[in-house]
Amino acid sequence: MNERSSFSLGVRAPQSSSCQVEPILRVSNLSLWYGKQQALRSATLSFPVCRATAVIGPSGCGKSTLIRSLNRMNDLVPHLRIEGEVLFHGQDIYVRDADPVEVRRRIGMVFQKPNPFPKSIYENVAFGLRVNGLKDHLDDRVENALHRAALWDEVKDHLRKKSGFDLSGGQQQRLCLARALAVEPEVLLMDEPCSALDPVATAKIEDLIQELKKEMTIVIVTHNMQQAARVSDETAFLLLGELVEFAPTEQLFTRPSDPRTEAYITGKFG
Amino acid sequence: MNGNGEMDVTRAPSLANRRRLALRRFAQKMDRPVFFALGLVSLVTLGVIFVFVVREAIPVFRYVSPSSLLGPAWHPTSEPPLFGALPMIVATGLVTLGALVLAIPLGFASAGFVAEIAPPALRDLAKSLLELLAAIPSVVYGFFGLTVVAPLVQRTFNLPTGQNGLSASLILALMALPTVASLAEDALTAVPKVHREASLALGASRWQTTWRVVFPSAFSGLFGAAVLGMGRAVGETMAVLMVAGNSPALTWSFLRPVRTLTAGIALEMAEAPSGSAHYHALFMLGAILLLIALATNGLAEWFRGRVARQGE
Amino acid sequence: MKKLHIWSSLLLGLALLGVAFPAAGSDEVTYKGSTTVLPIAGLLSEALAPNVVFSVQGGGSGTGIAAIIDGTTDIAGSSRYMKLEEFEKAVANGVMPYVWEVAIDTLAIVVHPSNPIEQITYEDLRRIYFGEVTNWSVLGGPDMPIVVVSRDTSSGTYGTFKEVVLENQEVTDGALFQSSNGAMATTVASTPGAIGYVGLGYLQPSLRTLLLAKTAEGPFVGASVETALSLEYPLSRPLFMITNGYPQGAVARVIRFALSDEGQRLVLEAGYAPIRALSE
Ligand SMILES: Nc1ncnc2c1ncn2[C@@H]1O[C@H](COP(=O)(O)OP(=O)(O)OP(=O)(O)O)[C@@H](O)[C@H]1O
Ligand SMILES: [Mg+2]
Repeated sequence: MNERSSFSLGVRAPQSSSCQVEPILRVSNLSLWYGKQQALRSATLSFPVCRATAVIGPSGCGKSTLIRSLNRMNDLVPHLRIEGEVLFHGQDIYVRDADPVEVRRRIGMVFQKPNPFPKSIYENVAFGLRVNGLKDHLDDRVENALHRAALWDEVKDHLRKKSGFDLSGGQQQRLCLARALAVEPEVLLMDEPCSALDPVATAKIEDLIQELKKEMTIVIVTHNMQQAARVSDETAFLLLGELVEFAPTEQLFTRPSDPRTEAYITGKFG
Repeated sequence: MNGNGEMDVTRAPSLANRRRLALRRFAQKMDRPVFFALGLVSLVTLGVIFVFVVREAIPVFRYVSPSSLLGPAWHPTSEPPLFGALPMIVATGLVTLGALVLAIPLGFASAGFVAEIAPPALRDLAKSLLELLAAIPSVVYGFFGLTVVAPLVQRTFNLPTGQNGLSASLILALMALPTVASLAEDALTAVPKVHREASLALGASRWQTTWRVVFPSAFSGLFGAAVLGMGRAVGETMAVLMVAGNSPALTWSFLRPVRTLTAGIALEMAEAPSGSAHYHALFMLGAILLLIALATNGLAEWFRGRVARQGE
Repeated sequence: MKKLHIWSSLLLGLALLGVAFPAAGSDEVTYKGSTTVLPIAGLLSEALAPNVVFSVQGGGSGTGIAAIIDGTTDIAGSSRYMKLEEFEKAVANGVMPYVWEVAIDTLAIVVHPSNPIEQITYEDLRRIYFGEVTNWSVLGGPDMPIVVVSRDTSSGTYGTFKEVVLENQEVTDGALFQSSNGAMATTVASTPGAIGYVGLGYLQPSLRTLLLAKTAEGPFVGASVETALSLEYPLSRPLFMITNGYPQGAVARVIRFALSDEGQRLVLEAGYAPIRALSE
């Protein structure tokens, strides 16, 4: 099954011990237009391995647009135009012969609203494995993914009986996380994963992020600045499609270099 | 219903505003009775038709026994008359089955293509093409079947005649296709975008997403499309009349001429003097047709309910 | 504003009324019934317009007669005489049917043009239509299954064929049943083994017409206007228009026109034989 790519499962993300701070994903001069409307203005930033990067900014500034262009989820949008590069392991994912399916398998995504399939819990997690032809040790892989998403104990008794819809909101979001983790992506993109959850469920997800970033790269969009401060190592601040500031999280929240960043984090607007 | 509570009372609403609000409140109050009344009208109409057909059908038992209705011979004007409807029931089942076997995969596939794969320009073209197909009168389909499909079937299978169950199935499939395809397309389009995105984000291809996520999620709507397509096939008269050959002999073969229930009624309604045994027998065919329609709809509902409960 | 609205909708309504109801001065007459008589009615209608609006509709002889009994048509067309029950029912309904012979229909026996058979007898036809003979070789033709094609049992054409040729017995269950003359012609023309019967008006080069005799002794006669008029051709029948009571007004104008020399020339044009020899 691995003939599809040069960097297949065998050489996937290094373990935490060997985690070095090097960019696995690099965005350079990325501009994006929805029809005539420009949504990203020449953004340049990079996401190091085994770090969590937060993307913050007021509503409509282009946060979703940015992370959805990291795994080509924007391909479905008609009249979309993109300039610049998104380099994954040094290769541009937007060149003609890049395979978006492969890109999306290796760069997973969790969405704002929990969106399990109308299938059993087991089938939700197994879905990505099945479509990618990873059918051996299916039960083990599913169990492992549910463990990593801290959901196993809550669902192990009715894996095949209960539908993904029968879980609580927080459980659903962890199911979506498990589903994404099952195919062992190297990067996990999360678009406001906690905005539909209560504080307890939110705390659980945040704990998981802390755990997961030991072995993978995480990009998380959030409206909640405390959350950004809690989980991320670096933070990017976007305003009207422009990347205003990109810095280590602590520095950005305590000593912002741009007055617009300061205005935003002190609640002057947004 | 707390429309008052939601209103902004700090500012006196303008006259136009007030009128709009009053109208909306009126509409809110009226929608239930109006829908109820409309529903009642269609229900009553259905009931009246049913009662009428059954009432005109029952007197046939003055002439023949109920069990003879399932006999293999239909000789309405012999002495005594034979009203065996089995050949027509079998023919209706055969032809409908054949039509569905063709129309459902084809309809679903074209719906999948239109809803999921086709670029917008091609999608619009395909949709208007389907609408055009749906707008063609059935007599035109019948004529096409008579002059093109039947001779083709005859030559392909080297038969004495191409007017048979297969030709009828082909034409009916063509006629049911727009119904099936456009309803299926609606069902697919109604599947929330988030399911597609979830699937794609897991590394599923466009086809895998369509096949494994969108289709199963749209099951209920697709099922409805199939049932309506079936209704179209069971009830079609004119086109079948022109291509099926209409032999009243009992056959289980697709390659023999067949007479469906609808064709049987159409062929003989004009000759049966009202009030005669033959007349009542034809209404009995109508009642059987109604029964088949009710039974399949009921079965479909039951099946759908079962699947929906399983899906929960 | 509002007033203008009302006036304009009134005007629009009047205009619509004008479309729905033809201008005063032209009368409306309706025809319903036999599809065999229909081509005649159609030509009469064209010739009578616009003085008389003669609107015509098929449905078969039975339908037409039922319509004259219920009073839902002015003129019924029929390719058979009224049955006794129909007549009684009409009278009971206060309808007095007047029956007018307007043409002589001639049924031609037709086969596929590739079929070498040239002539046929009533006896052969009976054996074919009762399903006793199923291969052309029995009748001296090629080894090919016979495809028996009949008109639907509610058509006047079927009634005549059954009465005259089949001695009132039913056609075999294995036959194809066609619901119109056109469908019959198309079916026979596209089916090598087929045999069927159509009105003279539907003969076409893609059909071979057989010579017909009542018995093997002959004489064998081809279907044509001439042989129908001379009464040499055996399989002929009169076609009728039926009115309620002695026709008056516009209905009388239609019937009188149908029976006139001019109307009878239209009968010829429709492919049937006229009811009398016409002066040139
Ligand atoms: N599919 C689309 N077609 C056209 N315009 C779009 C589309 N998606 C987003 N936009 C526009 O692009 C801009 C950025 O949108 P985006 O969704 O990236 O914002 P966001 O930062 O994620 O906002 P939020 O915090 O509300 O989620 C907005 O002005 C939006 O209207
Ligand atoms: Mg967003």
